[in-house]
Amino acid sequence: MNAKLKETILNPIFKGNPITVLVLGICSSLAVTVTMKGALVMALSVIVVCGISSLILSLLRNTIPGRVRIIVQLVVVAMMVILVDQVLKSFEATYAIDKQLSVYIGLIITNCIVMGRIEAFALGNKPGASFLDGVANGAGYGMILLIVAFFRELLGSGTLFGIDILNRFGYVPNNLVILPPFALILLGCIVWVQRSIQKDLQEK
Amino acid sequence: MNTNNNVYTVIYTTLIVVVVAALLAFVSQSLKDRQDANEKAETISQMLASAQYGSKADLDKLSNKEKLAKYSEEIEKAFVIDVDGNVLRELEGIDVYSPKALKRQNYNIKGGANKTGEPELPVFIFKNGRTVVPIYGAGLWGPIWGYISFNADEATIGGAYFDHESETAGLGARIKDDPSFQAEFVGEKPDFSSANVFDIVKGGAPKDASGASEVDNKIDAISGATMTSQGLDAAIDTWLAAYAKYFLNAAPAQHECCGEECEGECEGEEECEHHKAMEE
Repeated sequence: MNAKLKETILNPIFKGNPITVLVLGICSSLAVTVTMKGALVMALSVIVVCGISSLILSLLRNTIPGRVRIIVQLVVVAMMVILVDQVLKSFEATYAIDKQLSVYIGLIITNCIVMGRIEAFALGNKPGASFLDGVANGAGYGMILLIVAFFRELLGSGTLFGIDILNRFGYVPNNLVILPPFALILLGCIVWVQRSIQKDLQEK
Repeated sequence: MNTNNNVYTVIYTTLIVVVVAALLAFVSQSLKDRQDANEKAETISQMLASAQYGSKADLDKLSNKEKLAKYSEEIEKAFVIDVDGNVLRELEGIDVYSPKALKRQNYNIKGGANKTGEPELPVFIFKNGRTVVPIYGAGLWGPIWGYISFNADEATIGGAYFDHESETAGLGARIKDDPSFQAEFVGEKPDFSSANVFDIVKGGAPKDASGASEVDNKIDAISGATMTSQGLDAAIDTWLAAYAKYFLNAAPAQHECCGEECEGECEGEEECEHHKAMEE
């Protein structure tokens, strides 16, 4: 694996994380992180949408008319999101989660990470690298989602993936943790931790 | 190649939109059966929840197959009535009304340009004596619907479950997510003789001495969700008014003087023989 490829994959996970460094996709990360299950399905959906849209648009990159490129991107991303939504609705195991995530699956279209990576990377790079960039950014987003959801489900419901962890020890679930503002507080803490490790992110 | 040429741009965008549309139409068609099966099982679990066969969360632990089996096991009879309360036909097997079917009937009840025929109103009677009827209407962002069950007296609400397509999470979505809101309906008595069958009121429904909602046709609305509450109120009024004749005929006659149920033959208007007897 050459250094550039490694950089493409690893950068979005930590150093250039879409949520904590680029501060994109905040809205959905507050909304879908109440349970681990919801966060996991959302993370996988974004990985698929981001990866495949980047791949398709990278393949088309030399044919897309410059003046309508945003519209073409939007059509492809919207198609991917609808496909993911349709597939989630079709399986018994994911139907309930799709209902729980309701509008947020559809709102992946408006997630700045997807369009941002296509505009910044996929339109200027080869399909293989673009696909990896999309997947890696989706994974970076999903990783933060899962970290936030871990604390919110554990402290807010006393469970993880619906399995009782704390309640059996007489833990009383904290309702504040269930509410979106707490996700913002948690995100702030994650950004704090990352910036104290990665000093070059700190503003002078 | 000049990709900024006008003709090229028009042809390119047309082509890509047509390809995407065709692909989505194909996928939607090929997954339709599976999605309908999931929706049917979901409808069944909502009806069972309103008929008090366990909480929705517990019912959701069942697989689709188990939900269908439970429905077949617990349903006493299901039929379709018209607005005069006459039975039009029986519903055989597992024939439930999905939100899409309810939407069509909603147009028929309300009349207007979208009316396709006379309303056909489904009634589901379960073995625990509860009668489940659906409601359907408009919330703030999209359709809302639900199922209300009546106890064996056909007058008191035994349970309710509501669902929505896209109400605001934490506000309007509480009609679905908040069991305590749905619990408020239990024990209330809709007034089938008026046009205002049921009320979801702002500022507090009348409470009895213990702080529980009084037995009437009013419950508290959801704060911060005025439009959804009003939409739900309108949906319940519209649908229960359509069912009014059925429920008025189905409820046992009452003595006018005391409101007690008649035993045997009784028109409800006659002087209370047993009342006089009690006084003596």
